[in-house]
Amino acid sequence: MPLVSTRALVLQTFPYSETSKILRLFTWEHGLRSVIAKGALRPRSRFGGVLEPFTEGTAQIYLKEGRELQTLSGFDLLRSRQALGRSLAAFAGASLMAEVAIRTGTEDPQPALYAELAAGWDSIAAAADEAAAEAAVLGGAWRIVSLVGFEPQTDACVVCGRDAAPDKPVRFDAEAGGVACTSCRPVGRLIDPQSRAELRRMIRGLPLNAPLGRPGLHRALLRTFLEMQLAHGKPFRSLELFMTGMEEA
Amino acid sequence: MSVIDELTGELARLPGIGRKTALRLTFHLLKAPAEEAQRLSRAITAVRERVRACERCGNLTEQSPCAICTNTRREHGLVCVVEEASDIMAIERTGEYRGMYHVLGGRLSPLDGIGPAELNVRPLLERLKEGEVREVVLATNPSVEGEATALYLHKLIAPAGVRVTRIARGLPVGGDLEYADGVTIAEALNGRREL
Ligand SMILES: [Zn+2]
Ligand SMILES: [Zn+2]
Repeated sequence: MPLVSTRALVLQTFPYSETSKILRLFTWEHGLRSVIAKGALRPRSRFGGVLEPFTEGTAQIYLKEGRELQTLSGFDLLRSRQALGRSLAAFAGASLMAEVAIRTGTEDPQPALYAELAAGWDSIAAAADEAAAEAAVLGGAWRIVSLVGFEPQTDACVVCGRDAAPDKPVRFDAEAGGVACTSCRPVGRLIDPQSRAELRRMIRGLPLNAPLGRPGLHRALLRTFLEMQLAHGKPFRSLELFMTGMEEA
Repeated sequence: MSVIDELTGELARLPGIGRKTALRLTFHLLKAPAEEAQRLSRAITAVRERVRACERCGNLTEQSPCAICTNTRREHGLVCVVEEASDIMAIERTGEYRGMYHVLGGRLSPLDGIGPAELNVRPLLERLKEGEVREVVLATNPSVEGEATALYLHKLIAPAGVRVTRIARGLPVGGDLEYADGVTIAEALNGRREL
């Protein structure tokens, strides 16, 4: 059985038996993998405390193709991102990004997705306050969604195909995958021109020049889109915390 | 299936016990005096029948409220919030803490489907309304999830106007309180900080 060494992001961890942990890793070379870290919960485990969500490191894995659960042999820490636990918006958002990667990832290498996830987590962790963390989460989530092939259409109407006027509101048709003229879609959630411009910047990974004008609208857009396009009847578990966490913040 | 297979199978389902150990335990029970096996069997039944969660704090107990909640010599104005009842035993082993407890029954872990609604928070908030509590110590595990859970609780508790502290991170990151040594736990309690 070959021992491979690859950069990896820890997306999820849960205990397995009294002493072991199962991890969902997003690896640079081998895509999304489940691994077991035997003895990781023992007080003096060789893994120490590094096998935590959002951590990045070099993972040594006994990899056998076709098997669902691989064995983790070692993990050398590169970045811990403990800061993501110091704000609820950051924690919920980083979890949401991890969940999107778990739901859409495959065992094939997806270096662009890896890089986006790592950069997204970093910008959330670096955010100065909850509002900035939330904007970073929204941007990171939209870019991941776009990278896995679900970029929402934000320039032209999903019904008639005409370009949306820059100064007119549009509606959001999550089922059809993007914006629509108000005449093509007489009902539905309205997006004002500023919010549409912000959405387009976030999808393209461009910095926002000011705090989001209507963060609640942006949260709702992301939620509806994820539910319509990616959930397939199985709700995203971190959405609830992302939505409620913000309201109470 | 023979009764030997049956017992071996049941023992092997216990954490940390493999097939081989299960078989060894089975044969040990067969060789030992009958009374030994009966005592074990009675103890297992009694534990399942008599032990339940304390109505006040969530601690595992034979009488509810538990011995900690009813102990008048302990500090009732101080409540330590832990993830699991087993964490209480770990803290009690230090002999350093004289306050009350509250068991959450887990920590925020959105990917595992554990959100705010899944945590046992309401009884704690109701207890705070009674007015006796002056400080809440958040002793969730020193992990990203434990830290986020502490933040969430702080936000919920803050309006009640009591002092909220967090145990210091002297504990191994990503570790489990239940398995930490007493000195480390005591140090962490001593170094608790304002959120
Ligand atoms: Zn149209
Ligand atoms: Zn009690």
